[in-house]
Amino acid sequence: MFGIGSLRHALLTGALGLALLTTACADNTGSSSSPDGDSSSLQGKTIALVGYGSTNPWGAYFNKVFTERLEPTGVEITDMTTMDPGTQVQKFNQAIAQRPDLVVVSILDTQAMAVPIKKARTAGIPVLAVDGPPDPSVADDVMAVLSDNEKLGEFAAQNIIEGLEAQGRDSGKVIVLTGTKSMLVTQHRMKGFDRVMATAPQYQVVEERDANWDPKLSGDIAQQLLAKYGRDGVQAAYGMADYMALPIVQAAKQAGFPVGGKNGLVVTSSNCFKAGIDAIKAGELYGTATEDPGTIAEQSADYVQRFLGGENPPRTETVKEERVTAANVDQFAEQCSHA
Amino acid sequence: MSTDNGRGTATAPPVQGAGPHPSPSSAGRRPTAFAAGLAVLLLVLVALAVTAPRFATVDNVRAILASTAFVGITAIGATLVMIAGSVVSLATAQTATVVAMLFLATQHLGLGTATLVAVAAGVAVTALQGAVVGYWNANPIVLTIAAGFAIGGGATWFSGGTPVYPRTSAFEVLNSTPLGLPLSVYVLLVTAAVAQWVLSRTTAGRQLYLIGENRPAATAAGLPVGRVTVLAWAFFGACVAMTGIFLASFNTSATVTLGGTLTLDAIAAVLVGGTAIAGGHGSALRTLGGALLISAISDVLLLRGFSTGVQILAKGVLVLAVVITVHVRTTRSRR
Repeated sequence: MFGIGSLRHALLTGALGLALLTTACADNTGSSSSPDGDSSSLQGKTIALVGYGSTNPWGAYFNKVFTERLEPTGVEITDMTTMDPGTQVQKFNQAIAQRPDLVVVSILDTQAMAVPIKKARTAGIPVLAVDGPPDPSVADDVMAVLSDNEKLGEFAAQNIIEGLEAQGRDSGKVIVLTGTKSMLVTQHRMKGFDRVMATAPQYQVVEERDANWDPKLSGDIAQQLLAKYGRDGVQAAYGMADYMALPIVQAAKQAGFPVGGKNGLVVTSSNCFKAGIDAIKAGELYGTATEDPGTIAEQSADYVQRFLGGENPPRTETVKEERVTAANVDQFAEQCSHA
Repeated sequence: MSTDNGRGTATAPPVQGAGPHPSPSSAGRRPTAFAAGLAVLLLVLVALAVTAPRFATVDNVRAILASTAFVGITAIGATLVMIAGSVVSLATAQTATVVAMLFLATQHLGLGTATLVAVAAGVAVTALQGAVVGYWNANPIVLTIAAGFAIGGGATWFSGGTPVYPRTSAFEVLNSTPLGLPLSVYVLLVTAAVAQWVLSRTTAGRQLYLIGENRPAATAAGLPVGRVTVLAWAFFGACVAMTGIFLASFNTSATVTLGGTLTLDAIAAVLVGGTAIAGGHGSALRTLGGALLISAISDVLLLRGFSTGVQILAKGVLVLAVVITVHVRTTRSRR
């Protein structure tokens, strides 16, 4: 029989062994090198991918498409993804130390990343920002493939105005649950949203709350705001992502609000996931917009190929975004169903 | 040994090293600092509430209850763990997330089966941690940090980071609102009642207090420390699983980050309820009160137009104040 001490040692040894085995057997999807690919033009080139971590569904699909798209070129990608802003700064600095041919970054904290981007410039390492823009102070130091966040905000406002007008409402109150307000992505979406909402002053935004890209927090805030304004006090809601808009739908249903239809709450989002597409088909979500990870990953990979291949692509490219409603949901269902 | 836990006096063999503790009624004829602080807090809250628009409406009360439910169910389970002296689990959100994924991924097996699978998974994963704490006296903070990484990593590996969607929508019944209240609110109330009954009316419940108060003494007295600790963690696991199931149903999909701030929210509710972080004191009903208080304060602040940041700040200040008060009270009572 083993004593407790022996058992502890056995467990510890087993855990270490398991960890080593896992490491040894793990499929290293983070780095790829495919000399047998259809193009070897980027053979020997290296990229540090300091993108969103794969714990985020958007980031997971972006990373997958981006990596798979570049794999045949022979470029070596080092996976340095994370969803923690502090860790991202550390990893970015590590990336600079490794001196890759290109750092690809999806910025989590624009201000915190300003100094590391300056360091990269000093070190002569090119940086490509994807999805969200960098801090304006370093905007000239990076290349960028950006989502059109102002357009996404405009689409959300168009959805709300169109939905309320279709219900024949001459007036209406709107609540907004935003992503993290300190992020430029959020600020740009609100800029576009406010610009379009200003064209329909009969519809008034009465609340704008920071829900921090958090579905649970979105549900809590929605429950409280719907209670605050009552059934006749709010007619439309904007949750910045589908996973924030759907908790609004659930909160409304649980509070006894009708959702969608001829007189229900008009709920919209501004970047699509499969659940949002299903909700549009069910008539519970008025609309959303693309900003799907697959499209921007494809465009970013294409940009990388052109840049590392010696071309001189435009300093900034913006991904074309599309508005999605019941009228065209089938057209975007596949594109929006990977995350 | 008398235990100050708001559940009456426990009868147990005398345990060496466990000093006498005054019960709330015997702590002194004058109000304790905790009671005084709570009274002041409630007065401030009432003053803010009555002057806030639409606070005292049925819809708002329903919103407060609904926003309490998810965190409250987990917090009730966490209360037993904390009373048993196991401090806190820092793997709560990850466990709820994995349970939510399993629940949605098995919807095609039927709602009952999916629920059973999910609850069994939550209980198994959590009770295993409880066994390591209970039988081998592992540090629960270190253990659950490791468990949180392992569970979260496993969930990411399993899902590839992408959301898990159900094949059928049988789970929608869990979003129903009997008598106007979400089903999760009823589950919260039943969970609180069951937990309180276990703590105050069962041998295992009384042993939890004794173990939490002085584990070496409880061990020396022959109490089944390991078994009772595992039971507490298993109950906690069931509570986390229920939260995961309701979270999955509410959001209709599950991502790796679904649990969000559940871990710290649940700990906050337990602490605001006055449960001693060192163990040996506390009650499920007080935790229910703590969860309701946090929700009510968030609601009042929101109604009065304060930002999300201010709400989080207020929660932090409240937890800090209660922890300090409980610590001071506990320290004094042990002198």
